[in-house]
This record gives sequence, structure tokens and C-alpha cells, in this order.
Amino acid sequence: MRVIRTVNIPSGTDLVALYREQMEEYPKFFKMDILCKLGFLGTELLLKSDPDRFVPREDRAVLTFSRFGCECDDRHYSGTIDDYPSPALFVYTLPNIVSGEIAIRNRYEGETAAFIIEKYDFERIRSIVGDVFQDRKTGSAIVAWIDCRTETEWECQVSLVEK
Amino acid sequence: MDDLIRELKEKVIETLNLDGMTPEDIDDHAPLFGAEGLGLDSIDVLELLILLEKNYGIRLASPQEGRKVFQSFAVIADYVAANRTK
Repeated sequence: MRVIRTVNIPSGTDLVALYREQMEEYPKFFKMDILCKLGFLGTELLLKSDPDRFVPREDRAVLTFSRFGCECDDRHYSGTIDDYPSPALFVYTLPNIVSGEIAIRNRYEGETAAFIIEKYDFERIRSIVGDVFQDRKTGSAIVAWIDCRTETEWECQVSLVEK
Repeated sequence: MDDLIRELKEKVIETLNLDGMTPEDIDDHAPLFGAEGLGLDSIDVLELLILLEKNYGIRLASPQEGRKVFQSFAVIADYVAANRTK
């Protein structure tokens, strides 16, 4: 297994400004919660020079890891439900939505999964990614550590890894 | 009508939590649904139905009827202007 390249998005980055600077229009970006915005933009930066993008493929997995999961959005959502429970907010109260958003954007039809672990642990992540590579189909993976403590404090590291 | 279109855009941005989007980002005639437009989906239709009822006293019969009304902000504004009760 080898890491091909890695992108980091520093804590506190203006994500809307980064989106406007780096991407063509993708209005769904504005609907995303902070976890999805980070994973999505990290993957955009990681793959923007990839000539084979957007060709449907089943051999690339999307695996995200975090400690806090979607706790930021859970808090936001719970603070709004006294009025009425908004489906548009509720949909992001699942930490695996980010892996789905990345897969949809890039037309990946392989494995997607989100893992909650106690802390960043390179060996543990490598072991889990290695397990995914055992399926005879997966040849590469987007592997992301995206950990949002608040909407302005996070760790976001997105890598392209090959078997 | 321009004021109503802008008001509707502001309410939709707030309701759907389109964080960072501004009314100027949205073309009055762009489709609201699908990849070509604002990127809204069936979940958002429910939010828009509630928005029209709460703010303008308009009750649409079904999400299917909503789909006809929610074609673009220009179409919504025409419908609201003709049917609002508050």
C-alpha cells in the first residue's frame, strides 16, 4: 500500500472562499454541513489534476475517519428542532454522508464507509484500509481523516492511496 | 416583483441552510432541482412547502404540485404574488 498524494485543509480556512476559488459551480456544496464541505473540498484539491476523473469506476473506495463524527451538525440540528425538525439539516446528522458525497461527485461505485475512532491512529487506519483492499476489487482509495471539533476548528487530511 | 424574488431567495437560503450562498448567486430563471440548477432535491421540497405556508399562507396540495411551482424563483414569485393570503 502506498500514499500517492495528500492534501490538508488548515483549521479555520474560509471554505466558501476556497470553493469559489477552486471549483466550477456545484451548488450542492452550499447545502453541505462542515464535515461534508471539508471532505468534498479536500477531495477536489486532491484530484483536480487527475485526467481520469468522472469516469465511473468500481475499483476506488472512499473511507473517512474521525473522532467527533458529525457532532457539529448534531448540535446545530438539535438547536433548531424546537421550531420544526428540518429534513435538510437532519440529512447531515450522519457521519457517512461525506463519503457518499465524494462518491457521487466522482462517480465512484465502490466501497464507501465512515469510521469513528478514539484518536488519529495511522497504524489503525492503515490496517482498516488494508482490510478493504482484500476484496479483490478495490485498487485505490480516498482516505480521509476529517475531525471537526467546531465549525472553525478541525483537522482535515485527505489522501489518495493505492493498493 | 424583483423585491419578492429577492425576499424568496433570502428565505430559501436561510431555511435550507445554504451557508455562504447569496441571492446574487442564484439566477431568477435557473431550475431549482437537479445538477444544472440550485441542486435541491425531494427533501428540500418539504422545506419549501412549509416555507410558503408559514410566510405567505399558501398551502399546496402535494409535493408533486410543489414541483410545478418550484421551477425557478421567477415562477415561485409569480405564484406567491397571485395566491398569497398574508
